Amino acid sequence: MSILEYNGAAMIAMAGKDCVGIAADRRLGIQLQTVAMDFEKVFQMGPKLFVGLAGLATDVQTLRNLLKFRLGLYELREERQMSPQVFSHLLSTILYEKRFGPYFCEPIVAGLDESGKPFLSGSDLIGATVKTDDYVVSGTCTGNLHGMCETLFKPDMEPDQLFETLAQSLLASVDRDAMSGWGGVVHIITKDGVTTKELKGRQD
Amino acid sequence: MARRYDSSTTTFSPEGRLHQVEYAIEAINNAGTCVGILAKDGIVMASESRITTGLLAPAKNSEKTYKLSSHAACNVAGLTADANILIDQARLRAGRYLYEYQEAIPIELLVEFVCNYKQSYTQYGGLRPFGVAFLFAGYDEYHGFQLYQSDPSGNYSGWKATVIGANNQAGKSLLKTEYEEPSVEEALQLAVKVLNKTMDGTAASTEKMELFKMTLDKNGECVHHILTKEEAQAVVDAVAAESKTDTDS
Repeated sequence: MSILEYNGAAMIAMAGKDCVGIAADRRLGIQLQTVAMDFEKVFQMGPKLFVGLAGLATDVQTLRNLLKFRLGLYELREERQMSPQVFSHLLSTILYEKRFGPYFCEPIVAGLDESGKPFLSGSDLIGATVKTDDYVVSGTCTGNLHGMCETLFKPDMEPDQLFETLAQSLLASVDRDAMSGWGGVVHIITKDGVTTKELKGRQD
Repeated sequence: MARRYDSSTTTFSPEGRLHQVEYAIEAINNAGTCVGILAKDGIVMASESRITTGLLAPAKNSEKTYKLSSHAACNVAGLTADANILIDQARLRAGRYLYEYQEAIPIELLVEFVCNYKQSYTQYGGLRPFGVAFLFAGYDEYHGFQLYQSDPSGNYSGWKATVIGANNQAGKSLLKTEYEEPSVEEALQLAVKVLNKTMDGTAASTEKMELFKMTLDKNGECVHHILTKEEAQAVVDAVAAESKTDTDS
């Protein structure tokens, strides 16, 4: 049993034309038992910045609180919003500080930078980050997620199309993974704001 | 006469005074005035910004008002360098409380923390006190809107309205007669009136003052707002108009 598979998760962040989307499943399990179907794994960190935390649930929640703390301090001291690039790097630093006793969490970051350009990044549990311009995935079924995203992704999708692509990629991937699923949530971020939709999936 | 007991913070004088602390308090009486007024639906803080030369780069957002957390802010009178240390400490404390309890820090607790920090510089050796007085404005769900004042000794008290900095006695006496549970709008005008009185007799102009108000939005979240030049001018104009009608009648 891997500690990163103890609670279960599946998440995708994808870039469209002047927009980004981030989607995650809703399951919280304790190994084979499902405990909650409304567990939040994607968190809004700023008006146009989201972070998805996949992995051990306690570290998901701790990291979220830690990031909120650090982001809050940054905004108070610098009197400005944190850009996605800076946030991604901060997250990487926080993770690496625990290099020899890490947070069991593999996050993805999605946002629009100051000029409205999409930003995507994903990292491993000790802070190694990659930035992409198409999509990033994380969770217990990354094989499935990569397969679906690679097949369905097209560059420069409009927000409605991006939503469809994200939703279909996520739902199809989690069905072949026992540890993730039980519904989903998708956030689409455009320059005009954020729209959030719940997905109805197989409840098993 | 008090010379022998002046130089060390950690020594009482024979009269039972801490001279270093008193000298620190003196430093603040030369600083730009700050007024704080508790209103029915919010808090108003107004301060005199001492811009001595046009060569100074203008402050990005504010010169005297600092946000401490989503629900607390403060005005500073005294040594800005000293204040920066304390403001950072306050921000950390508020952040850590939120991290630990996932709830906003009660305002009095935050004020007490800053004051305890200041007090330790009056009792443990080798370090001088902070030459800063604060006006803290904050909101929590248990006690609503609150206004606190603190000084270099580490002492603090809650106020309905108060003044710190230069000519604070003149300001306080005006508040004593004119404070009457105002709304935020009325409090803004009263604050400008107080600044008019304390600012060396010259009428307050928007270049030399900073007006801040804290209110709740419709979701019950705290809103911090430093008035724009136009908004501040509107308040100054309203005060001038009112005083004109007073002198006319």
